[in-house]
Amino acid sequence: MLDFTGKLAKYAVLAGGIGGLGGCGALQNDIDVPLPFYASELVVECYLEPGKVPSLAVTTSVPYLGVVLPQVPTDVTVTLTLPNGTAVPLTFAPNFRALVDTTGEKFHSHIGRTPLVARPGDVFKLDVRDTQGRRVTGTTTMLVPVAIDSVEHKFNDKTGAERKAYFLTNFRDPSTPNDYYRLQLHRGNPARGALRRRPEVDYTAQDRLNNGRAFTLGTSYRFSANDTITATLYRIDESFYRFQQSVRDARNANGNPFGQPSAIFSNVQGGIGIFTVLSGTSATKVIPR
Amino acid sequence: MLFRSASFYLFVFLLVGLAWPEQVLAQNVAQYILSGTIRGSRGEALPGASVAVPALNTGAAADSVGHFVLRLPAGRHRIVVAFVGYEQMTREVNLSKNQRLSLDLVESGNELGEVVVEGSVTLEEKLKTTQMGVEHISIREAKLLPALFGEVDILKTLQLKPGVQSGGEGTSGLFVRGGSSDQNLVLVDNTVVYNPNHLFGLFSVFNSDAVQSVDLYKSGFPAQFGGRLSSVVDVKLREGDRQHYVATGGVGLISSRLTYEGPINRGGGARPAKGSFIVSGRRTYFDVFTRALNKANEKKVNYSPIPDYYFYDFNAKANYTLGEKDQLFLTGYLGRDVFGFSSTGGFNFDFSWGNTVGALRWNHVFSPRLFVNTTVSVSDYKYNLTNRLDQFSFGLGSRITDYTGRTDFEYTPNDRHLLKAGAMLIQHRFGVGRLDANSSDGRINFGSDIAYFGQEGALYASDNYRATDKLQLEGGLRLTGFRSGSNQYGGLEPRAAARYALNDRTSFKLNYALMYQYVHLVTNSGATLPTDIWYPSRESVKPQRSQQASTGASFLLGKGKYLLTNEVYYKWGQNQIDFKDGAQLFVNPELDSEFIFGKSWSYGNEVYLEKKTGKTTGWIGYTLAWSWRNFQPQRGTNGVNNGADFRPNYDRRHNLTVVVIHQLNARLSFTGSFVFSSGNLTTLPLGRFGVQDIPGSSTSIDPRPVPIYPNRNTYQLIPYHRLDLGAVYKIGSRRNQDLTLSIYNAYNRRNAYFVFFDTVRDPVTDRTTGFRAQQVSLFPVIPSLTYNFRF
Repeated sequence: MLDFTGKLAKYAVLAGGIGGLGGCGALQNDIDVPLPFYASELVVECYLEPGKVPSLAVTTSVPYLGVVLPQVPTDVTVTLTLPNGTAVPLTFAPNFRALVDTTGEKFHSHIGRTPLVARPGDVFKLDVRDTQGRRVTGTTTMLVPVAIDSVEHKFNDKTGAERKAYFLTNFRDPSTPNDYYRLQLHRGNPARGALRRRPEVDYTAQDRLNNGRAFTLGTSYRFSANDTITATLYRIDESFYRFQQSVRDARNANGNPFGQPSAIFSNVQGGIGIFTVLSGTSATKVIPR
Repeated sequence: MLFRSASFYLFVFLLVGLAWPEQVLAQNVAQYILSGTIRGSRGEALPGASVAVPALNTGAAADSVGHFVLRLPAGRHRIVVAFVGYEQMTREVNLSKNQRLSLDLVESGNELGEVVVEGSVTLEEKLKTTQMGVEHISIREAKLLPALFGEVDILKTLQLKPGVQSGGEGTSGLFVRGGSSDQNLVLVDNTVVYNPNHLFGLFSVFNSDAVQSVDLYKSGFPAQFGGRLSSVVDVKLREGDRQHYVATGGVGLISSRLTYEGPINRGGGARPAKGSFIVSGRRTYFDVFTRALNKANEKKVNYSPIPDYYFYDFNAKANYTLGEKDQLFLTGYLGRDVFGFSSTGGFNFDFSWGNTVGALRWNHVFSPRLFVNTTVSVSDYKYNLTNRLDQFSFGLGSRITDYTGRTDFEYTPNDRHLLKAGAMLIQHRFGVGRLDANSSDGRINFGSDIAYFGQEGALYASDNYRATDKLQLEGGLRLTGFRSGSNQYGGLEPRAAARYALNDRTSFKLNYALMYQYVHLVTNSGATLPTDIWYPSRESVKPQRSQQASTGASFLLGKGKYLLTNEVYYKWGQNQIDFKDGAQLFVNPELDSEFIFGKSWSYGNEVYLEKKTGKTTGWIGYTLAWSWRNFQPQRGTNGVNNGADFRPNYDRRHNLTVVVIHQLNARLSFTGSFVFSSGNLTTLPLGRFGVQDIPGSSTSIDPRPVPIYPNRNTYQLIPYHRLDLGAVYKIGSRRNQDLTLSIYNAYNRRNAYFVFFDTVRDPVTDRTTGFRAQQVSLFPVIPSLTYNFRF
């Protein structure tokens, strides 16, 4: 809906432009905005994945008109506590190249040594401290993944380059209430890194109106014959869902006169950020001719 | 306890007023009732027209249906009937019994609206009334003032009055004395209009050809009004010409209008018509231009078509005289905004919203002293949003429907009392959220329809009592109640006003009012949007409440040509509503839990100098005002700004308006309006951070930083000021056509619509190189020419 308000804003500006008949100079210009002091906070972003070496990014928030790149503090120690109580320190080993990388490699400031073993129900804890006394903590539980029942496609009636297919992903929501999902569709060969690139589609959904029933998430007519499509369905917890929504709302409020600024809903204490275990399933399909 | 005491004394006041001994007033001379109706030459009622008996220094004003009542001693009297824009009428009457008159005034000047503009309420009447904080705008006045795109907008004209703020550049939203825009009761012929805006507030729903006048009550609310905290916008539609069939209309920059009116059952010869009708329509043609633009560019690669958008509205009103004592009035309104989009990918998006209003009023005159208006009405506002792709469809909508019955009595026992009493009952249906998702093969079929019902009722009584020639008092009580499901609320709303005339040229006034609001607008936006939802008071959503006290003085200056008024007000409210950050407002069965509650207070001083007669008329208004709100931590939130006092975004310290209308000659007039106000408050982020998101989500450095907003409304935009100029030139031998030139924002001021932080990118690598603040303005200088006609 906020996207819609953005469209409204553009239409309003368009109306102004029509009225101005285009001959009266720019309607958008630079101004000086003196912002009051802002005290930066630790920002933690940690997505654990079963079978992968745990890593996370610890950065700091900055004044809005300050430096461009994220500030990576060098005095931070990170401890990940496994379900069995073992405290695993994550080493400060930032891959700074990822900050300017465009291939999809994610930046991490700290990383572990061995792949993570995680099963549904497992509880993990995170402890992040710096030498200034700032401390961020968090707890998360791995959810039971939800299987993709099927994926399917359908072509439109057009020919040539305009012949396109939409893509459907079908799954069934468990009978428990308050389930949240994130679905990504990537185009291309997974073996060639397609899953690291920007997805064609990135949806979030909740079962508030469809609890315990079949879900079908679809796209517009956008795929061509021979496209390889990989659907990845994550079951996410409510705190991650709220974090995503608040990030979206906060972004949409900047530049949208109809938007209402939103606070960020983190699931960590003492700073900003998200700590979660990704619990996903996937299915790949090649669109036939 | 204070509240109880106030109510008690008001009751006593009413009872004493009603029981005031008649003989004291009647003295020893026989008294008779002179009553009647004042109409224009086209047969339309003229509310506000005055009937004066100069020799006795007494008089009365016509009510909303043009009806007046005077109690006079037996004998011969000379009465003077006047209404601005009409020739003054003098009539001799010889009273030896109760007598009823039908008075028809002849318009002065030409038919298309006289060049000389005067409000329909004279300065002397404004000086004498107990009513404070009321602004009257006649459509004649509004039509002469310069307007955005040449679209005459009566709500925007109200923004030129002191104490009334706009929501922002070009919008018709009203923020009255620190209240929010949903706290205004907007009535058209006594029926609520829930969303009075087209195009996100850029235009109001009121077609100027169909409107007769509008009154805005900012304080001292008469007891017959209730249900909102901040103001009452009382719009009266025209009744239509009772003498001739007439077509009027106009062709403007963005819309055209056409109106047709005439008599119903016109008798032969001099017999008056039994009634009259008026139908009026307006439609914009944005979509004509955008479709042509889309067609011209359809072969361009990467061209993004502009969605279709247009709005229209249709007004109709008819009245019919059933007999000497009975008259029926039928009012209808239908308006829609339509927004549509079809992509080449087969995706269709349709969005429409609008109001439907219907009202049937029966006016019955029991006697010259007593009459009643009984109204049944329906008001409906809805929006529907539909997405379609192949076999799939998704719909979202909301709706509020009111069925209202009300009856309003007016009784004039003598020339010192005017009693009003009535009752009202509204059946609300709140369609809070409707969602449906379907596929034609039936595999997808789910939805939700959350609806609540509510009943709102009111009983009221008031007495306007002229205690002496110098002292006039008005007291009223309104008992209101609301029920939704098992939740019931109620309250007593005392209203009181007093006027003391020091002499013929100076009066002092004060008033007090308490208001309850049982229905609430659910919005999480800085502006009023068509997708906002109306929601009833329920278990955890208590009624909003507000009280206002104000006092003022009025001075007639310059031999009665000028009226200088100064008013001071203080308003305080409880259970004011806001919403949690990130609130889920759409199709949420737990919507109650998303509200947060706080208090508000505002105060200010309004100075107003107006001139209504002569070749040059206009006004100067200045307001110095403060508005505050406080929402303490609650319901799992930190409140707003961690519980600290904060200013709403429409809190503007200084407001100045200057309006001048000058008649050069019978054909040509010039108009100008200048506004200056402190800048709006807005919320800017102080900090930012980056989010990479999960693997496979995007590039490693997210191009869109996440803003951090520690506090609300901490940044003030630049002051707003604007000069609009206009000219009206009458053409044709009968001067029944005109060309109206409007120049909006004549000196091309770049007023701030909003400010945001933009990302600066390297044009080659597209990497972020910095951030900058950008100010966006909406309207540069906009000239427009409108052709109006009347045949």
